[in-house]
Amino acid sequence: MTHTLHRMGDIESLREDYVMLIMPAKGVNFDGSEEKMRQIWDIISHYQSDLINFGNLTDGNSQRTTMEVFKRINSRAIHAVFMDREALKACLKELKDHNFGISVVISGLYEDVKTICSEIGLSPHTVEHSLGIHGKTEKLPDEKILEITTMCGHGMVSPNLVKEMAKKIDNGKMTYEKASRELSAMCQCGIFNSYRAEKILRKMTAASKGA
Amino acid sequence: MKINKEKCIGCEVCHPYCTVGAIITIEWCSKSVSEIIEDECVECGVCLRSEVCPTQAIYMPELKWPRSIRAAFSDPLSTHPSTNEMGRGTEEMKTNDVTGRFGRGIAGVAVEMGRPGVGTTFEDLQKVCMTLARLGVQFEPENPVSAIIVDKKTGKINAEILDEKVLSAIIEFKIENDRLKEALLALKEISNQIDTVFSVGLITRVTQDGSIPSISIARDAGFLPRPKTKTNIGLGRPLKGEI
Repeated sequence: MTHTLHRMGDIESLREDYVMLIMPAKGVNFDGSEEKMRQIWDIISHYQSDLINFGNLTDGNSQRTTMEVFKRINSRAIHAVFMDREALKACLKELKDHNFGISVVISGLYEDVKTICSEIGLSPHTVEHSLGIHGKTEKLPDEKILEITTMCGHGMVSPNLVKEMAKKIDNGKMTYEKASRELSAMCQCGIFNSYRAEKILRKMTAASKGA
Repeated sequence: MKINKEKCIGCEVCHPYCTVGAIITIEWCSKSVSEIIEDECVECGVCLRSEVCPTQAIYMPELKWPRSIRAAFSDPLSTHPSTNEMGRGTEEMKTNDVTGRFGRGIAGVAVEMGRPGVGTTFEDLQKVCMTLARLGVQFEPENPVSAIIVDKKTGKINAEILDEKVLSAIIEFKIENDRLKEALLALKEISNQIDTVFSVGLITRVTQDGSIPSISIARDAGFLPRPKTKTNIGLGRPLKGEI
């Protein structure tokens, strides 16, 4: 499951995109983890106003399932998208202090994640780097479209839908907010960052207007 | 996926939702209707799940083997028969602090065929698997791709599915750091012989001094590691001892 790894964009844009992934390990600490996962949802709910999205593959994203529901049900995994580094750090600190013993992964700029870890007394254990896209890259859509579509690692956000949303915005038939929510709805896991998508759509539509 | 032509009103609202652009307009019984190109459709389910069809004309027919493999790999909500899990991969590095799957000196590599958004045939996937098998890599046994490799020594895939197309499939393997460059160079080479793209992920257990030794190896092989990563921050317990 490399689904948050290959998000594209410049440093400035990625600095507003941190995905927290929390998951117990089968055969190690999965059995009996249900209550801990509910408690972790409860801690994450303290930061709900800072969250862009949350959810998991089984139960859906934040447009489909509310935080209150996630706090009650059994979760195999937890995803939460932060745009603010300080909120992420505060949440991680709280998780660390509770010592749940469940693995936590942060998807984001490595230098920032490393610094955050250091500030709360942690150090990176294992890192996965993206080594980019190879092969027939001429089949790929434009870079700005990829910056949006790669925010759903399962590929559920179609490049044509991004173009359609940009077209509707250009024609005054849709707001940026509604367009980014529609794109986000396609991503089941709740890892899509609609805040970033809105900013990218603004750049795409400004470019099409020659601004 | 299919579109019921009797119900379809030809509004084309569903077209942009298709992840691989497989929905087109055709003339049928003196009217314009939408149709899904069967060869191109990867059975991801997005057109149906988006619920945009005003007449509920989109439906999922019963998928028979080998076409059913398309949904198993493309639709993340489909439970894969080999793993009994949804999704396309494994826990990989996400729980490495407690599983110790990737120890120091060992690199984990995830080659996601067809990603982002291009899709892949199993014919192309087989080319990459055979290249890696020649190097003697350890394919991750829990990954769904391993279930379709019929011969781990050659990397050959079940011949019945070679023509099937999926949105993506992840080849996961482990290799010692001193053989990583060879494997990455082999991936570079095979990337010129496939009709799709792949995205590569490189997993490394961070050393005690905080360094990541595989990065310089990747650079030597001509890869440019991106600044964004996935980082396991070591909160899992019990921590797995080092191998």
